[in-house]
Amino acid sequence: MNLITALARFLIFPGLLFAIPAAWFFLWVERKSVALMQGRIGPPFMQPFFDFIKLLGKSTPPRSGVGGLLMKLWPLIAVAAAASAVGLLPVWPSSGGFEGDLILLLALLELPSMCIIAAGFSSRSIFGEIGSAREAALSVSYNVVFLLAIVSIAASQHTFRLEALAQLPASPMHWIGLLAILVCLPAKLHINPFSLPNAEQEIYSGPMTEYAGPELAMWELSHGLEWVAATGLVATLAAPHLTLWWVAAIVFIALSFAVVLLLSAVAAATARLAIDTTVRFYWQCTLIFAVLAISSAIFMRHRS
Amino acid sequence: MTYKIPMGPYHPALEEPYKLDMICEGETVIDAKLHIGFNFRGIEHLAESRNYIQVIALMERVCGICSNIHTLTLCQAMEQLTNQTPPPRAQYIRVVVAELERLHSHVLWAGIAAKLMGFKTMFMTCFEIREKVMDVLQAISGNRVNYSMNRIGGVNRDIDDPLAVLAMIEQLEREMVRTVIPIFTTSTTARSRCAGIGVLTNQRAISCGTVGPTARASGLPQDLRRAAPYAAYSEMEFEVPVQHDGDVRARLLVRALEIMESCKILRQALTKMPSGDINTGDAKIVFSTGTATSRVEAPRGEVMYSVSWKENSRNPSRVHVRTPTFANMPAIRWMVMGARLADTPLIQASIDPCYSCTDR
Repeated sequence: MNLITALARFLIFPGLLFAIPAAWFFLWVERKSVALMQGRIGPPFMQPFFDFIKLLGKSTPPRSGVGGLLMKLWPLIAVAAAASAVGLLPVWPSSGGFEGDLILLLALLELPSMCIIAAGFSSRSIFGEIGSAREAALSVSYNVVFLLAIVSIAASQHTFRLEALAQLPASPMHWIGLLAILVCLPAKLHINPFSLPNAEQEIYSGPMTEYAGPELAMWELSHGLEWVAATGLVATLAAPHLTLWWVAAIVFIALSFAVVLLLSAVAAATARLAIDTTVRFYWQCTLIFAVLAISSAIFMRHRS
Repeated sequence: MTYKIPMGPYHPALEEPYKLDMICEGETVIDAKLHIGFNFRGIEHLAESRNYIQVIALMERVCGICSNIHTLTLCQAMEQLTNQTPPPRAQYIRVVVAELERLHSHVLWAGIAAKLMGFKTMFMTCFEIREKVMDVLQAISGNRVNYSMNRIGGVNRDIDDPLAVLAMIEQLEREMVRTVIPIFTTSTTARSRCAGIGVLTNQRAISCGTVGPTARASGLPQDLRRAAPYAAYSEMEFEVPVQHDGDVRARLLVRALEIMESCKILRQALTKMPSGDINTGDAKIVFSTGTATSRVEAPRGEVMYSVSWKENSRNPSRVHVRTPTFANMPAIRWMVMGARLADTPLIQASIDPCYSCTDR
């Protein structure tokens, strides 16, 4: 991979230049589709962008000490991690480097949620702390299923490279894994029925309670980028192998869009579950996928 | 480690200002303390400086949801002091407006409960239906919130075409059976958030002196429309829904069933409405000295008015209001003890509190 294509991928598509407008677009699609399902009008097309710009223009009271510094730092790390995760998605065939490395991608996808937990505790607000504790409990529950699903896909195809996975013919394990990832996405993106960490009727906006201005804008952006990265991961795994680059890009965007619509429909049709129900749900999923993953591993050992 | 979480006086889960201080251990609530009085308007004192016509308009503003119930109770008390009996048609119209108000209050509460479960789609559906109930109320009274229907000795406006209203009610009933009632009774998400939480045992319900749907959900079959009928309720046939579990789900079920019973009462009242006058006319009203009390079954439970008057006076010497929330409020502490923090907004809302009425 030469430097220019690598930079183009990271900065243009599917990197930053694509990812940031896509983040706003997906946030808008989610808000608009939920609004239409609820019989409301919903926000105008540019609203997430306007929100971002408006928040950037606000000045926030300075916070002194390490706490204040950390509170500034967490949203930046989250944005950087989520943007890098989007940049790593192998929409086009790559020729080396980190691109499409599943383990790095998973680590980067997990970082924003870690930052949210840390941010809630750094803010020293009681609502932030409860939100962070909930986020931590949620993270421990859904990540087991999430990782198991990805490991089972990778193990069934003998590779940890996303690109190779996308190109190989899909096995049943592949589709089951994809389903498991889809089950985890509402929790990863904090939408209903797993919107516990930011349950406004209970703890205001949880870890984000003390945030305002440019830092909140960064959180919003990182949330949007998480949408792009998470739906992009599903789109990459579900997309058929295509040689024409522009067809591949269109299929990628269309699939991501479909996943956003699906998740919005789930969010609109459900109530928020309590923490113990959520944890129980994900551990039950874990059990099912663990059995499937182990049986697939044994099956493959027999075959090879 | 225990810590205190304040909920309110301004909080996204509350419709009006009040405060619930919760002592928590992890996500479990150990104890709770309720503070009210943020919305005190001195209405009882104001009433002493209003004449018998103005006081009705004033008391209508005690509550924004059950405004009609307050004027109905006040007028019934004043009718005792003036020895007036409203004509039968007025009694029927009072029943129609009271039941429509119950419908709108219960549907509003369903929306709030759905929102507290994080179920915003259901919230929107409920509020859409509530708009339609308010349309019916507007068709009858010309108003959507403060209907100004009651006066001493009857009502202010007639229902000219009861059958047209009946058609609107039947359409409403169909929509409720299609959307709100199934979510209340059969939805799994709603059940997982409501079943077994915020339990108020029968004994505790009695010792706290709870009223209305809160009491009926804890197995106390009390309903003033049945026990001490007022207006034209003695001529209506209806069931008093009672549940025995005492949890939030039971309170949901009681209200869902009450919506159906209200539709039943409305249908009877509109078809059987007698002809005749709607009030006792404009003759001079003379009050006798004394104190009269009146009780009615509001959507949230029993409302009691005690009105004192001195002969030849235009103003009441005392108007005392006891709202159902005042009776139900102490039960909240027992309901939230041991509950999960996530459930407390829903539990405290399950008594359908109206602290603005309680503060007056």
